[in-house]
Amino acid sequence: MTTVAEPVTTATPLGGSRRRALRRLRRNPLAMTGLVVVVVAVLAALLADLIAPFSADRTDFGAALQPPSGEHWFGTDELGRDQFSRVLFALRASVTVGLAAVGLSMAVGVPLGLLAGFYRVLDPFVSRLTDTMLAFPFLILAVGLAAIRGPSLVTAVIAIGVAEIPLVVRVTRSETLRLREMDYVAAAVASGAGDGVLLRRHILPNAVNALIVQATVTIPAAIIGEAVLSFLGLGVRPPTPSLGIMLASAQQLFRDGPWLVVFPGLAIVLLTLALNLLGDGLRDALDPRESRR
Amino acid sequence: MRRYLLRRLLESVVTLVLVTMVVFAGVRALPGDQVRALVGEESDPAVLEQLRHEYGLDQPIPVQYVRYVGKALSGDLGTSARTGLPVADTIGHALPVTLQLSVFSIVIAVLIGISAGVVAAVRRRTAAEWAANTVALLGLSVPNFWFGLMAVLVFAIAFPVLPASGFVSVFDNPVESFRHLLMPAVVLGSGLAAVIMRQCRSAMLEALGADYVRTARAKGLGGAQVVLGHALRNSLIVVTTIVGLQLGVLISGAVVTEQIFVLPGFGKLTIDAVFTRDYPLIQGVVLVTATAYIGLNLLVDLLYSVIDPRVRVGGAVA
Repeated sequence: MTTVAEPVTTATPLGGSRRRALRRLRRNPLAMTGLVVVVVAVLAALLADLIAPFSADRTDFGAALQPPSGEHWFGTDELGRDQFSRVLFALRASVTVGLAAVGLSMAVGVPLGLLAGFYRVLDPFVSRLTDTMLAFPFLILAVGLAAIRGPSLVTAVIAIGVAEIPLVVRVTRSETLRLREMDYVAAAVASGAGDGVLLRRHILPNAVNALIVQATVTIPAAIIGEAVLSFLGLGVRPPTPSLGIMLASAQQLFRDGPWLVVFPGLAIVLLTLALNLLGDGLRDALDPRESRR
Repeated sequence: MRRYLLRRLLESVVTLVLVTMVVFAGVRALPGDQVRALVGEESDPAVLEQLRHEYGLDQPIPVQYVRYVGKALSGDLGTSARTGLPVADTIGHALPVTLQLSVFSIVIAVLIGISAGVVAAVRRRTAAEWAANTVALLGLSVPNFWFGLMAVLVFAIAFPVLPASGFVSVFDNPVESFRHLLMPAVVLGSGLAAVIMRQCRSAMLEALGADYVRTARAKGLGGAQVVLGHALRNSLIVVTTIVGLQLGVLISGAVVTEQIFVLPGFGKLTIDAVFTRDYPLIQGVVLVTATAYIGLNLLVDLLYSVIDPRVRVGGAVA
C-alpha cells in the first residue's frame, strides 16, 4: 500500500485515483471474497432458471418435509418444494429490491442534496423535509404504504427507497458543502462556469465516492429490508419466492422442519455479510485516510 | 443554552406539524371512499351521508385538518374500525409491552456494546479484539428476525430453557417477565449492540491517543483509571448519539421482534392493523410513533448538549 495518503476528492484527474483505489481493493482479501460471493449470488439469481434443479413452485407431496439430502440440498417444505431452488429464485427478489430501492433513493436524494448544499436558501426546506421523512421509522413508513398501496414488490421498493432518501440527501449535501469551498470550484467560477456546470462537472463527480460508500451500506440494508417486509407480509406476496416469505412459513413448521428456517436465513446472512465486507473494502480503498483508524 | 433549546424545540414542532400533514394526507390517499374505508361494509347512502357529516368529511380540507389536529391534541385518535374501541386506549394497552421490551434491549445493548468496544480498543491485536470485531460484524449482517427465529429454534425447541412466546409484565412477576423478555430483548438489542461496539471502539481508540489521556498517564494514574475515567467517559458522548440515531431502527426492530415472539405490543398491533385494514388504528399508530420518535430525538439532543458543552455553544460541532 502506498504511504502517501491520496485525498479522495482532489482536483487531480479522477481516473488516476480511481485506478489506484481499484488496485487497493484488489489487494484486500476480505473484500475480494465478498465480491466473489456477491457475483455468485447475483449470477445465481439471474440464472436461476438454468441452474435450479427444480422449478420454484413444483410441489411433490410424496417428498414433503424432507431434511437436506443429496437430491434436495436444502430439504423440502410442507408441499414438497425444493428449498435450494426456491432460495435461488428468492434471491431475485432480494437483488431486485436491493438495487431498485437504492436507485430510487439516489435518483431523488442526490439532486435534493446537491440543491440543499449549493443553494443556502433551499437548505432549511430540504432539511425540514428530510427530518419529516426521518420522523417515520422505516417499518412505520412501510406500514403506511402497505395500507395505502397494498403489499407488493413495488411497495417494498418504494418503502425502502423512500426511507433511504434522507440519508442520501445528507451525504450529498455535506459533500456539496465541502466541495463548494474547494479552490478548483472557485477557479471554475472565476472562469465563468455557470451553476449547472459547477454542479454537474465539478461537484457531483467528486461526490461520487461518498455516494458509492453510502450505497455499499444501503444495498445490504435494503436486502434485509425486503426480507423483513416480506416476512411480515408487507412486501413480496406469495407465490413469488422471497427469503422473507420462506422464513415466515417456516415459523409454523419449527418442529417438523427446522432446516426450513436455517437455509433461507443463511442465504441472507451470507449475501449481506459479503456486501458489507465488499463495502468496507471499497470504503478503505476510496478513502485511505479513513482506513488507518 | 436557552437559545439552543428554543431552536431545537421549534424545529421539532415544525417537523411534527409536517408529520401530521403527511399522516392526514396519507388517509386521504387511500383508495376509494373515505367513509367506506372508515366504517367498512355499510352501504346505505343515507347512513354514509350521515357519517360523512359526523366525521366532518363534508367540510373543506383545511377545516378537516385543523379539526383532526385539535382532536389528536386532546388525545382523541378516533375509534378502531374493527373493535370499536378508542384508538388511544388500544395503543395505551399495547405501549407498556413495547416499552418494557425496548428498555430491556437498550440496557443489554449498551452493556454488551460498551464492554466489547472497550475490550477491542484496549486489547488491540489480540484474540479478544478479533472476537469482538467478528461478533459485531455478524450482529450487523444477521437480520434480527432470523436471529430471533434461530434463537427460538435453539433455546425454546431444541433445548427448551426459555418460553418461545408470550408476555408477562415486569410489575406482575419480575422473574417470569425476565424469562419471557430475555430472548426478545437480546434479539432486538443485538444490532444496536454491534453498532455501539463499533463506535465505542473507534471513539476509545481516538481518546486513548489523545493528549489528555497521555497527561493522565503521566500523572501516574493506573491503566484502569485512565481507560474508564478518562477515555471511556469521553466515548460515552458517541454512545448517547448512537442510541439516539438508532431509535428508529429500534422501533422497526420491535415490530419484527414482537411478531416473532407473539408479544401483544405496539408492533404487533401495527401489523395486525394493516391486515385488518383498520385505517383509524393505522393512522393513530403512525402518528403516535412519529411523535414519540421526534420527542425522543429531541430528548437525546438535549442530553447530548448536557454531556458535551461544545454542542450548545456553536451548535456546529458535528
